Amino acid sequence: MNFKKAIVIYKKEMLELFRDKRTLFTTIILPVILYPLLFVGFSAIMSRQVDVLEKRGATIAFQDSLSFRTPETLAIRDSIYEDLKKIENFSIIPAPPAMEKLYQEGEIDAIVTVKDSLNVLQEPVLIVSIRYDGSGEKGMMVYHKLENRLLETSQKITAQRLEALHIDQQTLKPLEIKPIDTSTAEKKMGSVLGAMLPYLMILLLITGASVVAADLVAGEKERQTLETLLVSSVSRGEIVLGKYLTIVTMAMVNVVINLVSISFSIQYMLSQTGLDLEGIQMPINSFLILLLAMIPLATLFAAILLSISTFSRNMKEARTYEQPIMIIAMLLGMVSFLPTIEINNVLALAPIINIALLFKAVLIGNYQLSHLLLTIGSTLVLDVIAIWITVKLFNTESVLFRTQEEGGKIKIKNKRTFFSPFYGIVYFCLALVALYYLGGKWQTADLVNGLIQSELILILFPVLIVLRLGKYKPAEILRLNPPKAKELAIIPFIAISASTIVSIIAQVINHIFPFPQEYIEAMSRIFTQDISFWELFIVIALIPGICEEILFRGFLMRFFEQKHFWYPIITTAILFAVFHLDPFRFLPVLLLGILLGYLAMRTGSIVNSMFFHIINNTLAVVITTFGEQNWMKIFIQDGENLKYWVILPAIFIFIISMKVFNKITVSKEVQL
Amino acid sequence: MIKVQSLVKEFIQKDGTSFRAVDEVTFDASNNEIVCLLGVNGAGKTTTMRILSTIFKPDSGKAEVEGYDVVTEADKVRENLGFLSGDTGLYQRLTPREFITYFGRLYGVPEGMIEHRIREMSEILDMNEFLDKKIEFLSSGMKQKVSIARSIIHNPPVMIFDEPTAGLDILTSRNIVSFIRDCRNQGKCVLFSTHIMREAERLADRIVMIHKGRVLKQGSLVEMREETNLSDLDDIFIYYINQANGELKVAANEF
Ligand SMILES: Nc1ncnc2c1ncn2[C@@H]1O[C@H](COP(=O)(O)OP(=O)(O)OP(=O)(O)O)[C@@H](O)[C@H]1O
Ligand SMILES: [Mg+2]
Repeated sequence: MNFKKAIVIYKKEMLELFRDKRTLFTTIILPVILYPLLFVGFSAIMSRQVDVLEKRGATIAFQDSLSFRTPETLAIRDSIYEDLKKIENFSIIPAPPAMEKLYQEGEIDAIVTVKDSLNVLQEPVLIVSIRYDGSGEKGMMVYHKLENRLLETSQKITAQRLEALHIDQQTLKPLEIKPIDTSTAEKKMGSVLGAMLPYLMILLLITGASVVAADLVAGEKERQTLETLLVSSVSRGEIVLGKYLTIVTMAMVNVVINLVSISFSIQYMLSQTGLDLEGIQMPINSFLILLLAMIPLATLFAAILLSISTFSRNMKEARTYEQPIMIIAMLLGMVSFLPTIEINNVLALAPIINIALLFKAVLIGNYQLSHLLLTIGSTLVLDVIAIWITVKLFNTESVLFRTQEEGGKIKIKNKRTFFSPFYGIVYFCLALVALYYLGGKWQTADLVNGLIQSELILILFPVLIVLRLGKYKPAEILRLNPPKAKELAIIPFIAISASTIVSIIAQVINHIFPFPQEYIEAMSRIFTQDISFWELFIVIALIPGICEEILFRGFLMRFFEQKHFWYPIITTAILFAVFHLDPFRFLPVLLLGILLGYLAMRTGSIVNSMFFHIINNTLAVVITTFGEQNWMKIFIQDGENLKYWVILPAIFIFIISMKVFNKITVSKEVQL
Repeated sequence: MIKVQSLVKEFIQKDGTSFRAVDEVTFDASNNEIVCLLGVNGAGKTTTMRILSTIFKPDSGKAEVEGYDVVTEADKVRENLGFLSGDTGLYQRLTPREFITYFGRLYGVPEGMIEHRIREMSEILDMNEFLDKKIEFLSSGMKQKVSIARSIIHNPPVMIFDEPTAGLDILTSRNIVSFIRDCRNQGKCVLFSTHIMREAERLADRIVMIHKGRVLKQGSLVEMREETNLSDLDDIFIYYINQANGELKVAANEF
């Protein structure tokens, strides 16, 4: 490895990027103009709005419906009336005849009514009710002004009464509460920024990286310049390093420029609105640590996006593959918004989440060096893996010279247009909405029947109807092909080992983000029903296994089958995970979805994936039904959780059975 | 010096079957010599040259450039080889000078030497006028000259040009052709490909005819004319194709 050559490549890439007007505009010029315009414009509009609102007048109708017209109550009523009149720009009028109509039409902004009633001691008290429309800014403003004024009046009367009784006002205040807030201004600002800034930085890092990543390798393939680079005397490692440094730089530049522009704009905006600037200084020290902590993340994104760019045939494809990565990164980055989650030694190992939480800790001002080091270390490990993959890809002829028409293209005669990703997503969304509303309703009414109805009526039938309307052959489209005996024989091994691994992953997630209690109750509602094991098996394992496989691996996967072998599998798995509407189980379901898709694609038969699905769900039924029994105690703790050691034999069995599976099946990639 | 022995390259096709783009190709080219790979579209010329340039790995057979094996000593091969592939792109936002300098640095040529080479080559290839314009504004002939200069900035002993004059006008192609001849006269080993018989005729010391991945015939033009009694290279080419087909038929009949 000759670093000098990597630097030559790096310099040339940077030179080219800065000659590209589009890159220059999006990474530098846009942020520099955008935020000032946005913030300053916004603050100008805001302060004008507040001004206008403050000065705006209002018409208030005043009436009384007193039943005891004692001189005392009448006097208080009058003093209220007089006091209200003192509010600037407000005109207080006695209740006019058509008051209700005027109020509805907005001619009158509020109605103040003085009533009386008896308190527990049978003494008369006055009640002042304010009718107002709290949905608008104006209604709220009117209410607050009236309320403040009435409180003053009330205090005045209290004071008078105490004086009449010769009681010192201090008697009513035996205690005084005096808050002494020890948090520094920096810390306060940190906790506000701590929630937002990490997310923003992750967002900026990945967008900055993605702007250039697609161009750097996939773009070179598209413009046919990659070959000239490959034949010159640089090693693949040097090429990868040079390009990787370019992406890291652009990601960092993007963050720094955006943040600087944002902070200047915010400071300007605050100084304009005359707010106290004292407590709102950018914590500069922590800012520097942030930049430091950002480097590993920038390198991780760079490495991942570079491998995608290398793998893709052209820029368009690279952009398509980048999208899921960006979405996942942003979702993970959102942990910084969760108030209760703080970084610990385990979370410091979770990619992206660790950086988001570390940023947050740094901004609040209490981070530990061990977390910083763990975060940087674990991210660097991933970095190295991603770079290693990229160099590998760079040494793979078939990846570097994939042409447009290569790859496992799968054609369905004449009907291709319907089976496109667009319609796939549309269908999925419709099914999801139906399930959420109708299915939810049915299940609240009657859980067991609701579940069965949802699966049959919302998941299975629509697919059959669509296929019928389109005159497709269901068996062909849905891959309802008979499986081979040897495939069916190996599936239980894969299913049991994979389910075990995934359950343990779910348990670890549960350990890190404890599920809310209501959630656990809602989830286990089905198991507390008074039904037998076999009924549970049918409701939880058999029917969902069949119906969901028909929808996902049978039907929906068809919509995405035009690109790479893994593309439909992964897209469908993501939809499958979203379909469960359950953030806590997203990752486990996603992993199962990928495996299910692989089994179906590889064997060309969804009977195999149904079989897997049924076994997987049956295991859950078995554990909850028999979890308390003695013979289960070997694997089970607390009656429901797997013991962690079982993951070792599970991984072993999984690897062996997948090897066997791959051996006994031929890739159907091209044959379909 | 180039040595190619029983070279085979297979590609996997869409239907999963493999086919041989290069099938047992054997030839060599020595220093001080221009050898032409002649063949119709899809004959396997580019693929052969890409194996020589270390981009593709052969499935079997052996190839050497300046005595270095293309698989086991790929680094050495790249140092000693200038390779211009048929449809190369250029970095549009650089100027020819920056572009050539970039590759000079990648080859590890000292800065002073790079400048010297650029001056020298732009004199011969007539590039002075556009040396500092952005590449995106150049014509295809200008770009081709820049590409040639880029490929041999490190003054390699072996040069491979894949269809160096495709799509260029006669003035530009003559310029390039005479440049290639100069290189040979300086003692370089030049391998170039074309499907234009005239060019092969004019430039090549020896011709290697390739058809459907196999070598049909190799030798100098004089030898070929003597053997076939034909004068036009087009006719000679067709003659050998027919001969090969005939042999195949005979072979099939015998079977
Ligand atoms: N990366 C590749 N993947 C699959 N097939 C390829 C690849 N590159 C070339 N081929 C195939 O190999 C065969 C030989 O191609 P090659 O480019 O070597 O021909 P050529 O002689 O250079 O033709 P031309 O005169 O058109 O440039 C063609 O059938 C082509 O389709
Ligand atoms: Mg070619």
